[in-house]
Amino acid sequence: MTAAPAAGGMRATGREGARFRVTPRLRGRELLLLSVVAVALVLGSVSLGATRLLRSALLNGGSPPDDLVVLAGQGLLTIYIVALFLVHAALVLAGRRTDQILLPTMGLLGGIGLLLMIRLPQDLAGRFGGLAQTQLLWLVIGLTIVTVLAVAVRNDVWLRRYKYTWAAVGVGLLLLTFVLGRDINGARLSVTIGPFSGQPSELLKVILVVFLAGYLSENRPLLVEESTKVGPFRLPPLPYLAPMVAMWAIALGIVIVQRDLGAALLFFAVFLLLLYVSTARFSFVVLGLAAFVLGAGLLYFVFDHVRTRIDIWVDPFADPSGAGYQVVQALHAFARGGLIGTGLGAGLPSVGGQPPIPALHTDFPFAALGEELGLVGILAVLGLYLVLVQRGLRIASAAQDEFRAILAAGLSLVIGVQAFIIAAGNLKLIPLTGITLPFVSYGGSSLLANAVIVGLLIALSERTREPLPPPRRPGRIRRLLDRGAA
Amino acid sequence: MFLAMLYAFLWLVVRALVRDLRSAAREPTIELGRLVVTASPSGEPAPGTAFALDAITSLGRDVNNSIVLDDEFVSTTHAALTYRGRAWYVEDLGSTNGTFVNGSQVDGLSPLAFGDEVQIGQVRLRLERARA
Repeated sequence: MTAAPAAGGMRATGREGARFRVTPRLRGRELLLLSVVAVALVLGSVSLGATRLLRSALLNGGSPPDDLVVLAGQGLLTIYIVALFLVHAALVLAGRRTDQILLPTMGLLGGIGLLLMIRLPQDLAGRFGGLAQTQLLWLVIGLTIVTVLAVAVRNDVWLRRYKYTWAAVGVGLLLLTFVLGRDINGARLSVTIGPFSGQPSELLKVILVVFLAGYLSENRPLLVEESTKVGPFRLPPLPYLAPMVAMWAIALGIVIVQRDLGAALLFFAVFLLLLYVSTARFSFVVLGLAAFVLGAGLLYFVFDHVRTRIDIWVDPFADPSGAGYQVVQALHAFARGGLIGTGLGAGLPSVGGQPPIPALHTDFPFAALGEELGLVGILAVLGLYLVLVQRGLRIASAAQDEFRAILAAGLSLVIGVQAFIIAAGNLKLIPLTGITLPFVSYGGSSLLANAVIVGLLIALSERTREPLPPPRRPGRIRRLLDRGAA
Repeated sequence: MFLAMLYAFLWLVVRALVRDLRSAAREPTIELGRLVVTASPSGEPAPGTAFALDAITSLGRDVNNSIVLDDEFVSTTHAALTYRGRAWYVEDLGSTNGTFVNGSQVDGLSPLAFGDEVQIGQVRLRLERARA
C-alpha cells in the first residue's frame, strides 16, 4: 500500500542527495598526463634557460643576460604548473566522471605558449607587467573558468532554452564593443570593459555554436526534409533555414565591417560543419562552398584589404619588405627550423631588439614554434589540436541527446578549425588571416573563450550510464522475507 | 628533450584514446536484459519470442507500448520495466488484473531478478540476462 508513495519520496530525495553529495573520485589518467606535461614544461624551461645563458655568454662575453628567461621564467612556469594541479585537485574533489584528457592537452598547449611568451621581448604587449606575466594571468583566469564550468555545469537547459537570447547577447556584445571602440580610444576601452574589449569575436564563436546547436537539434527533422528545390539541389523548407542564415549573415557582416577575416572564415566553416554534422546532407556543404567561393570572389573585388591579403598570399615575395614582410619572415622561420628545429630559445634572431615578425605573439606563434621545434615539433602541436577535436567528437558521439552532441562537436571543431586557419595561414597554405592559435597565442579574450570551450566540453563529457538511481536498496534478507511472505 | 616529452605525452594520450574507443566499440552491444515469452495463450506474441529491453520498457495491449501483449486480460498500459542503478524493477501501472512476479502480486515498484517470471494477464515472461 505505502510502497509506491514511499518509493516516490525516496526517489526524489535520492536525486537531491546525488546532486549535492560529493564523493571525490580519483582521476589517475589525468594525473599521469599532467605529470608528463609538468616534466615537459620544466625540461623546456631548463633548455630555454641554458640556451639563453650560452648565447649571452657568446654575445656579451660572459655577462649574465638580464632578460626574464633566467630571472623569473621558472617562477612563472611554476605558478602555471601549480595552477594546473590545483585544477586537477578541484576536479578530483568534485568527483564527476568526466573527461581526463582535455585538461592536460590544454595545459600543454598553454604551457608551450607561456614558454614562448617568456622568451620573447617582454615589451611587446601586456598590461600587467610584461608579456609573460600577462599571459600567465590570463592562463590562470582561464583555468579558473575551466574549473568552475567543469564542476558546476550539470545541466544544459540554460544554454538550450535561451538560444535566441544567447544569439542576441552575442550580437549585442559585438555591436556594443564596436560602437564603444569607436567612441573611446582603444586604450581606455581595454581598461574599462576588460578582457572582452580585445576580440569580442572570440566570445562570439562560443555563442554561435551554442545557438546553432540549439537551433539544429530542435529543427533537424525539418531541415532533413526536402521540400524546396533549387536546381539539382533539394533544400529544406526555406523559413526554417532563415534564422540560421540571418545569424550567419549578421556575424559575417560585423566581422567584415571590423575587417576580421579570420573570424569570418572560422564562423562560416563552423556553420557548414555543424550543418553537415546534424543533417548528414552533403548537398548543404556543396551549396555552402559554392556560396563561399561566390562571396570570396565578391569580397576580393569589393574590399581592398581582402585583395591585399590574397595578393600577398599569391606572391609574398613581390614586396618582401613591405606588404609581404610578415609572411616572408614566417617562411624563413620555418626554413631555419628545418626538421627538428633550432632548439627552444635559439630561434628568431632579433632585429634591433625586436623579433622580425611584429605580430609574433598573436598571429605567428606557429612560425616561432616551427623555427624552434622544427617540423617534428609543429606536427606534435597539430597532434595536440587533433586530440582536442577527437575528444570533442567522442564526447559528441556518447552524448545523451542531439543538443549535447552538436554542442560538443561544434565546440571542439571551433578550436580545430581555428588552429587550422592560423597554422595554414602561417605556412602560406591559405591567405593569412589575423586569428589566434588557441591556447598558445598571447591574448586574454582568446584564452578565456577557449577556456570556456574546454570547461563546457569537460562538463558535457560526464558519463551518466545509469540514468535513474535505484529507488531503494532493500537488504538481501528483507527481500527474501518479502518474497516469502507474499 | 622537450620534443621527446611532447611525443611521450602524445603517445600516452593516443594510447588512452585507443583504449577508450575500443571499450566504446564493445559497449553499445551490451543489452541490459531480455524478456522471453514462456506462455501466451493468445499466441501474440508467440511463446519463445525474446525481446531486448531498453532502460524503460512499457508493456500493455496498446500499440504504443514497447512490448505489445495482445491478450484480453492485459490492460492498455499494463506494467513497466525499468533499469535503475544496476537492477531491474517492475511496476504495475494500475492494471485491471494486476502484475505478478513468481506468482505473487506486485504492489507498486518491485525489484526483479534475472530468472524471475512476470505474469501479465495470461502472458508469462521470464527476465533473462542479455546474451554476451
